[in-house]
Amino acid sequence: MLAYGLLALGLSGALALVTFHVVSDYLTGQRVSSAIVETADNAAALHFGLFEAAPPCRPSRNNPGECTTVPIPRQAPDVMALLDGLPTTDSAASLLFFNGRWYSAAGQPADLPADMVNTAKSGTVVNRRIEVGGQQVLAVGVPLPRSGEAFFEWHPLTGLDNTLRTLKITLIFAALVTALLGLAVGRFASTLALRPLAELTQVAAAVARGRLDARLQAENDPDLGGLARSFNQTAAALEQRVVADARFAGDISHELRTPLMTMMNSMQLIQNHRTELPPVVREPVELLGDDLDRFRRLVIDLLEISRDDGGDQGLRETVRIADLVRAAADATAGRSITDVAEDAADLTMEADKRRLERVIANLVENAEVHAGGCKGVSVRAGGRGVIVYVDDAGPGIPEADRERIFERFGRGGGDGQSRGIGLGLAIVARHVEWHHGLIMVEDRPEGGARFIVELPTKSR
Amino acid sequence: MAHSLLLVDDEPRIRRVLRLALEDEGYQISEAANGFDALAALRREPPDVVLLDLMLPDRDGFTVCREIRRNSDVPVIMVTARTDSHDVVAGLEAGADDYVTKPLVAKELSARIRALLRRVEPASTRTSDLYVVGDLEIDVGAAEVVRDGEVLPLTRTEFKLLAELACAEGKVCSREQLLSQVWGYGYFGDSRIVDVHIRRLRLKIEHDPATPKHLVTARGLGYRLVN
Repeated sequence: MLAYGLLALGLSGALALVTFHVVSDYLTGQRVSSAIVETADNAAALHFGLFEAAPPCRPSRNNPGECTTVPIPRQAPDVMALLDGLPTTDSAASLLFFNGRWYSAAGQPADLPADMVNTAKSGTVVNRRIEVGGQQVLAVGVPLPRSGEAFFEWHPLTGLDNTLRTLKITLIFAALVTALLGLAVGRFASTLALRPLAELTQVAAAVARGRLDARLQAENDPDLGGLARSFNQTAAALEQRVVADARFAGDISHELRTPLMTMMNSMQLIQNHRTELPPVVREPVELLGDDLDRFRRLVIDLLEISRDDGGDQGLRETVRIADLVRAAADATAGRSITDVAEDAADLTMEADKRRLERVIANLVENAEVHAGGCKGVSVRAGGRGVIVYVDDAGPGIPEADRERIFERFGRGGGDGQSRGIGLGLAIVARHVEWHHGLIMVEDRPEGGARFIVELPTKSR
Repeated sequence: MAHSLLLVDDEPRIRRVLRLALEDEGYQISEAANGFDALAALRREPPDVVLLDLMLPDRDGFTVCREIRRNSDVPVIMVTARTDSHDVVAGLEAGADDYVTKPLVAKELSARIRALLRRVEPASTRTSDLYVVGDLEIDVGAAEVVRDGEVLPLTRTEFKLLAELACAEGKVCSREQLLSQVWGYGYFGDSRIVDVHIRRLRLKIEHDPATPKHLVTARGLGYRLVN
């Protein structure tokens, strides 16, 4: 787009430059030749006044100064009257060097450059642009028949200079207008041509952000139809794949629930009668019980996450956020860990209590189990409504992992062991998003990580 | 005395393991594999509580629940696959008292059953066991609501809910409060249980359930019972 403008500027600039030179050369040439002709005419008129009948040599541009006849001067001519009698259509001043002295109708001989005077005296027509009294004039010198004598005139150039200045301004203006037009046309053309690409960029970014149903509209565009179609096919395949994966996880967990129920209830029965077990099997039963519990959590988490893939079901009710956070956090930690700022105590939002409980419970549990214990949960008014901080005493989350930990099975960095198989934080991220909130993690100044949940008090 | 429980589930392994675990918790168990058997068992020997899986082979759990409600006020706990599906509201509207989700453990189930079987406990501040609201007489001692000399057919849970509201004597009861007092839930109980029960109660005690006169909603706060 800018290139179009620069191109237009370059072209029109070059054109203007050439035009200016051609026109100014031509006009100057015209001016010079007309000045020479006029001066020569005047010189001829003087010749008649100053010399006897023998006709003067008429110099022209082609054979300047080839006058060889030796004329006879008149007796005591009134040189000044002759000079004054010359027509003054164009000339500003006329000077005559005759009989070894200067005659001047106007102007000073001193204004003439010495070499110019000498050239004319030696029989050659000269012209030169000189400055007289602050004005540009064209001085023309014509030799008189007798060697060492010459007639000079200067012709004002103001008219020509004004014309050339006007031409210059006009051309610069025209070049700039052309450049601007070029810029506008370029911009118009490029947006027109690139609009489908802009859409492609947007849609691709949307897909990358997880909006898998985003599609290009440009399938009927003659230029981009092919690209749009294959992009849409790719996106559709990706979406199908992701949905199928999620459904697969959901279906498996569904199927797992029946055997899980059998195992859990059997295990509970066995544990109710732990004391009746022979000592040798008590420890295996304990191990089995622990792993069964982990297994149960995983299945429940998988169900939770595949639940959202199955559509946006959920309940919204008016909830006092501080109450909910306190109930969820304290119950999960098994002790009082929640601090509520005064201005946040009464804030409410339209929320799904069950989902929001999972958010807080998962964060607190994550801190308790994997990060050296929860150092406190605080509720503050701020952001778009309420901000909940969950602090832990773990090693913190490296900058590079801070997005990944919110993905399904995105293990925290460092010792991969300690964070377990993470569906918990993925569920947190999903449920926060469901509430149109934001989740972030940063380092605490005292060490450890701080998870930050921002929830809008006015839900859309 | 051991409470009796009717297990309705088409999955034999689930029935087996729940029988074992619940018997261990001290319940007396009878089983039914489908809706037809369940209704027959109910007529033969009415249990204290019914545990009803919504996915049954012959007819869906909602129909079975409505059939049960036609001539019984026995507490029904339904088993659903998911918390936030429409099944929950549909099941509650069909007359279920409470719900649990799979995979369920006998211990949690036992807590739910105990809450449902608990009688209305007289609070220390109560001065009388008889409340009069409009043309309704609520007799907490006899667990009966009488209008014009006729006993209204409330389920046990509906009565408990009405009694709690009556005991508040016109003050607003929040849904959390009602969930805790009637169903024994903590802060995170499902408030839809209260809402659906309130709707069911209105159908039975209000002359025009669409514009309730006595059982009114306090927007954003809860419910109250007024004269």
